[in-house]
Amino acid sequence: MLVTGASAGIGVELAECFAKDGYDVIVTARSEGPLKELAGRLARQHNVQAVAIAADIGQPGSGAKLASEIKSRGLNVDVLVNNAGYGMSGGFDDLSAESQLGMIDLNVRALVELTHMFFPDMLKKKRGGVLNVASTAAFQPGPFMTVYYATKAFVLSFSEALSEEARGTGVKVTALCPGPTESKFHDRAGTTKVRASKIAGMMTSKAVAEIGYKAFQSGRRVAISGRMNAVMARMVPFFPRGMTLGLVRSLNTRYSDRA
Amino acid sequence: MANARKGDGQTALITGASTGIGLGLAECFARDGYNVIIAARSEGALKEIAGRLSRENNIQATPIAIDLGVPGGGDKLAAEIRARGLDVDVLVNNAGFGIAGAFDAQDEEGQIGMIDLNNRALVELTHQFWPGMLKKKRGGVLNVASTAAFQPGPYMAIYCATKAFVMSFSESLWIEGRGKGVAVTCLCPGLTSSKFHERAGTGGLRLHTLGSSMTPEKVAEQGYRAFQRNKRVFVTGFDNRFLAKLVPFMPRRAVLNLASFVLRAA
Repeated sequence: MLVTGASAGIGVELAECFAKDGYDVIVTARSEGPLKELAGRLARQHNVQAVAIAADIGQPGSGAKLASEIKSRGLNVDVLVNNAGYGMSGGFDDLSAESQLGMIDLNVRALVELTHMFFPDMLKKKRGGVLNVASTAAFQPGPFMTVYYATKAFVLSFSEALSEEARGTGVKVTALCPGPTESKFHDRAGTTKVRASKIAGMMTSKAVAEIGYKAFQSGRRVAISGRMNAVMARMVPFFPRGMTLGLVRSLNTRYSDRA
Repeated sequence: MANARKGDGQTALITGASTGIGLGLAECFARDGYNVIIAARSEGALKEIAGRLSRENNIQATPIAIDLGVPGGGDKLAAEIRARGLDVDVLVNNAGFGIAGAFDAQDEEGQIGMIDLNNRALVELTHQFWPGMLKKKRGGVLNVASTAAFQPGPYMAIYCATKAFVMSFSESLWIEGRGKGVAVTCLCPGLTSSKFHERAGTGGLRLHTLGSSMTPEKVAEQGYRAFQRNKRVFVTGFDNRFLAKLVPFMPRRAVLNLASFVLRAA
């Protein structure tokens, strides 16, 4: 199996879950050091083959490059875990174009590129599947984290459609939707000080990964980690839209900001 | 001298304006006195339309032929507009395309191309002009999504996902712009009799049993009015509106079955 964004957080824990169950793993991320360490540890502890490939898949076309790198090493991908992704918080006009478009390129474009590379073979072999890491952000729009939420709405819609296309073929497709999770996500996203991270209790990456792994193995279409997160996500359609948007706006702004 | 018109002194940029809903929207803005910049790939059609719009409505109409479907295309168009000394008060992100068929049976180029045009170019352009709108406290963004945004679309997976992106993005932007004098509307057309279906390959699908098609002129007219009222999301047609509102309350299994039934080649 291949897991992207495997140098920290949920990605590392997912690699761990698969390795523990005997899957050979390919871990990829930008930083080679932590990757090699992880691969070494997984191989030792779980007696599997673990390969580290450092790659920046945030550039257009790099998903395809990673896929050819994998094939040239004679490796195979039965399960694809699209975990790499990042978020940025702030007003749409305040954030740089580069960081916002980068989210589209990584969270959406690279995910689709990689899925397109490996999905046909999964269907042919009638096994394996795709585990996409979305977010509870997929369930409603997110003012002040506008592009991030939109990328996750894409991932959820795409995953659900793909799971339907794969139904009955032996291939599984799951969208894992974590709520706030203890990971490096918040450092980059600039969300350590927003209300959202103070209100909800954060889950550990390990707990989130285990929920995602189990959901994938049991063929669930969508898995929301944490009961409270699940309840909130399911309640969204029952709220007046204006109220939802106002609530998310206030959760996504800092205590000190008065938008 | 004619009465002052709503759009006098303002400029609207409409992408994908050579045909269908985009053309209809360009007409609406021009009629109300907006100067228009119309962008699309086909130069010939654009020039003809620009000539007609400026003659009939006594406005300035500028055609710019460009392919927005490559990364950086939106930024390139914005640079071109500025180089001509023009500014954009209203941005209409209409350019987009769809492709029907199983995900594994499609070539990558088309699937990624939808992301690049329907999402990336839309965000590029919005990011270029949004700060200026906020500064001037006028104008806004009219994004053309689709009723595809309301549910996943097996056998049209990427298209529907790009439209879910557009709707989420637009709704967020609507509230970021609220109280600041700028309008944001997400127009969600259902079936429309336009060239969309030729490229999408949706002509023969059971999709068409869901209801009758609207003309692009009518869709544009309604979208234009919704934008002028700063309506957050506007779904054209009563049946489409009803179905879109119903989706979240239906069992997901039923939603996916229905979507798959109408989108899968019979």
